Amino acid sequence: MSAHANPSPRTAPALRAVIRAIGLIGLGGIAIAVGLADVIARAPVDAIGVGPSLAPPSQAFPFGTDLLGRDMFSETLHALAITLGDAIVGALVAVALGGIFGFVAARLPWRIGDGLRVVAGILAAVPALLLAILFVGLTARGFAPVAAGLAAAPFAFARAFDRARLLGASHYAQYARASGIRSATLLRRDLAYEVRDNFLSTVTRALAAVAITLATLSFFGFGAVPPARDLGLLIASARAGFLDAWWTAACPAFTLMLLILCARLAAGLDEGERP
Amino acid sequence: MSERILSISDLTITRAGLPRPELENVSLTLDAGETLLLLGESGSGIPSLMRAVMGAGQSGERVSGQIQFAQSTPGVKVRHGESALRIAYLPDAHSEVLSPHASVLSQLVRILARKLDLPRATASEELRLTLARLEGAPPLDAFRAGTVEAMALSWGFLALAIAQTPDLIVADHPLPDSSPIGSRKFTAALVAEQKRLGFALLYSARRTLVTTWLEGRIAILRNGRIVEEGTVGRLSSAQAHAYTQQLYKSLPMVTPQVPLPRRGSRGEPVLQVRGLELSPPQKNVYRARETVTFDLRRGASLAWLGEENSGRNELLRMVLGQQEPAGGRVIFDSVDVGILSQAMTARLRRRVVFIAGDDNVLDPRMNVRDTVEEPLRAHLNLSRDLVAGHCEAALKRVGLASLAPERAVAALSRFDKRRLQVARAIVTVPLLAVIDEPQRGLGPLESAVMLDLLRELRAQEGPAFLLLTANFALALALADEAMVFKDRSIVERGPVGEMLKAPKDDYTKALIAAITPVLPSGLPKAQSQG
Amino acid sequence: MWRFALWQVGHFVLALVGAGLLAAAVSAFAITNATQGMAAFSRAFASRAAAFGTGHFGYSAIVAQSSSDLVLKGLAPTLTLILWGALIALIVGAPLGIVFGRGPARRALAPLIQIVAATPVFCVGLGLIWLAVHYAHWPASAHGDAGAALGLLPAILQRNGGAIASGFRLLLVPALIVGASGAASLQLSLRRAAAEAGDAPYRQGLKLMGLSTLEIERVYVAPQVIAGVLSNAGEIVLALISAAAIAEWVFDWPGDAVLFVKSVALRDWNVAALVLLLFAVIKLIADLAGALAARALAEPERDA
Repeated sequence: MSAHANPSPRTAPALRAVIRAIGLIGLGGIAIAVGLADVIARAPVDAIGVGPSLAPPSQAFPFGTDLLGRDMFSETLHALAITLGDAIVGALVAVALGGIFGFVAARLPWRIGDGLRVVAGILAAVPALLLAILFVGLTARGFAPVAAGLAAAPFAFARAFDRARLLGASHYAQYARASGIRSATLLRRDLAYEVRDNFLSTVTRALAAVAITLATLSFFGFGAVPPARDLGLLIASARAGFLDAWWTAACPAFTLMLLILCARLAAGLDEGERP
Repeated sequence: MSERILSISDLTITRAGLPRPELENVSLTLDAGETLLLLGESGSGIPSLMRAVMGAGQSGERVSGQIQFAQSTPGVKVRHGESALRIAYLPDAHSEVLSPHASVLSQLVRILARKLDLPRATASEELRLTLARLEGAPPLDAFRAGTVEAMALSWGFLALAIAQTPDLIVADHPLPDSSPIGSRKFTAALVAEQKRLGFALLYSARRTLVTTWLEGRIAILRNGRIVEEGTVGRLSSAQAHAYTQQLYKSLPMVTPQVPLPRRGSRGEPVLQVRGLELSPPQKNVYRARETVTFDLRRGASLAWLGEENSGRNELLRMVLGQQEPAGGRVIFDSVDVGILSQAMTARLRRRVVFIAGDDNVLDPRMNVRDTVEEPLRAHLNLSRDLVAGHCEAALKRVGLASLAPERAVAALSRFDKRRLQVARAIVTVPLLAVIDEPQRGLGPLESAVMLDLLRELRAQEGPAFLLLTANFALALALADEAMVFKDRSIVERGPVGEMLKAPKDDYTKALIAAITPVLPSGLPKAQSQG
Repeated sequence: MWRFALWQVGHFVLALVGAGLLAAAVSAFAITNATQGMAAFSRAFASRAAAFGTGHFGYSAIVAQSSSDLVLKGLAPTLTLILWGALIALIVGAPLGIVFGRGPARRALAPLIQIVAATPVFCVGLGLIWLAVHYAHWPASAHGDAGAALGLLPAILQRNGGAIASGFRLLLVPALIVGASGAASLQLSLRRAAAEAGDAPYRQGLKLMGLSTLEIERVYVAPQVIAGVLSNAGEIVLALISAAAIAEWVFDWPGDAVLFVKSVALRDWNVAALVLLLFAVIKLIADLAGALAARALAEPERDA
């Protein structure tokens, strides 16, 4: 779960609550837009010749069109759905294998946890992006959401592990053990409070980090498998002509930024997740 | 007529969001060479008053009224730089006023050098000479480490203040509760230096006992107002206000008529310690290791008397299994703890409870209800209604029934946390209660309530008590027998009552002297139970 | 301090061995039949681990060169990017962290920082390219040759105007991308450390005891903040490496980061493994140096 070796720069609680609410509303809005993508979008996925080639943004085509006359607004909306879905999968993998497993591993007997912590530390010595590329390379492009989650997991594991150790060595935990409270009860207690206090911010932070990694993977050609295009692949395919038709890259990029921003705001300005 | 050093008139401090002012129309004066003691409990407003005097108001505080130092312009906000007075601050040793990332010595020297405008080498020498002059103070080298124990730190602060040859010392309850002998020597040194240098002393005290060691005037504050004011001598003998009377009742007054606690050696042993070895006080000094052996029977009470680093806490850690002993055995409820698995040890310890003055027994994230109910839910298979009933009854007994059950422990006051520990202990119906400085940091009345609660716990649930304290009066009130720890060895053991009547070791005598109030005549009072 | 240093060095060596084993595991995929069952992979892993132990990192499956030769060739361009990026990060990130680290500025500008931090590095890269091409008519690609950029530092030392201009045009935008990412990481570390030090009770305590605010900040707070940043050096280096991978990809920069990406795409596992090891070693060295420097700066006994 969320565990800072150093505390994050934190804002006042009231402002933090407002910012968190804005982020959650934003994420909710994005989720609704994605759910209604087929209704909102004027063209189905990858529909060629919907408009003229490389038309700049206009009332008819708010995000313009690309070289093949595809409506960029519709394409961006469909790509956002893929990015969001993949990012949720990746974030859940990162939180489950990183946060929760890291927390539990810290309390495993016979120093199993210490061994896992060393492995996590070694994996965390490699940039998450390169680790995700490696995982995809060793498996397949369809594995990218899980690979992005796995790549974010070592760092989250290390943080959750250290946090759990800190809590386990606290005075109140020692006193509780000395008065017969079992380690399993203490672990349950710690997990319950961590979930209550930090789960939402941990998941949304992971969502932001994994969305960045996934988009970058696709930009490198390791992510979404065509014909399905996520936001990263949409931007990558615009790379050849974006110097003349800026909207083909800028509109998906701003949409991606909006998703990441909402996720970060929903985390209540807690910073520090490694993209 | 003496020079007026400090004059406070109609000082009112309000804070946004609070129903009543923290301080209301307080007026005080302090002359050169005089001592003004401020005594009150939490909510008295004394911390706000001290902050205002030191010019360190917090954000959200609104201050009105006048604080005037000698030779300074009248004004509400007074900064030290604006006054020609030399003001020295004597802080609480527990308040983390120094950086933990630099040695205590370097910080003390830097402050002295800055205040006196001296080179640091000269300031260091000045500090060394002052420490050498203060009877009972540790030498300069004791401050070289990053962390220094609380009493030593208090001495360091005192030396720093004295070395400044101040006109006024503002002492913000500078004595740690855990060191009564050191505290007694400290106040004696402070009084002696005041006589020598003639500085005015504004002293905020948490315990009534300390006020009897100092001479001067005393102001009793309650809910932000002064309820009574007079000389220490007058208030020690006759108090006009009911609240003041209560405060003075909390003194460890001792009368021979009160029957001494009976010697407890009833029932089967609940805790047996056989030859546990205490480590020597200094690593490089060879000394035969002290071994500890004792039995604590069901319903009996044993006090481990001693100050910080006396060895009592190390012994406790070994008894609790938090520290591996070099040798010896711990037998709990007739079972050798050393040969049991972790799960079995946990099962055995279900009926051990802790009540500690540091309040770190409680998980700050938990709420009031969960804190009390946890032992019941963890150890017993009771219905939800029954658990809630036990919880409610326990909270009622300790006076916390009105507390919202969902309130987080972190948001509770020190006194409430302490009582919550007792409530948790009540529902456990313990065989053994380990009680570590239960009155630490509490005000006089709160301490008295705590003592009553512990007595009631012992009377009703009947656990064996293992009491760790430096306060002889507390041992007298709660324990049958005592072991006196000094420098990681036991210097005396026996029934507490007999120890009080005829202490054998000088250290025990000093512990007894440290809880003895001083009468206006300067003679110690007769000793009795607190 | 010595005990701490020994502990850290021990930790470093252990992590180094672990990184070597990880690289050996990746390299094992280069051996034919390694993926046919656990036993086959174990044999391949053991053989590659033994080879790594003796300094033999294998050959590329794509070009007829040893992995180490290929990686050494790309090392200078990557390090050039990282070092110039680090310089930019320091120049930009440190003031940002100091300004936004405390008080009202932090509260007011925290959401703004979030917006900036929400921008993926490759989007920043594309944006900078667009600006450079449209407003400065600078090249959008190194076309696989970073020679002029590598010669920038010698050109500055020799005051060779032409070489400085061509090197600058080639290096500035990629270095800015790396620097922006490093600056974001640095300012975050700085703000974290400043927030922690800012809440410390001793700041008020020492002031009451008679020290000036400036002296407290200079003597006690600043070393803590710098130590906090130093202890986070590994994370900053990781941010720089990640950004270097993107900058190299976008600008066709012939460095090791892009070599890794291409190696993985082409299943050239020996090369990918060695690049992975190289980056892990750089990060671990940064961790070790940062931890030792932080300890030296913040040790309680340093001025006893």
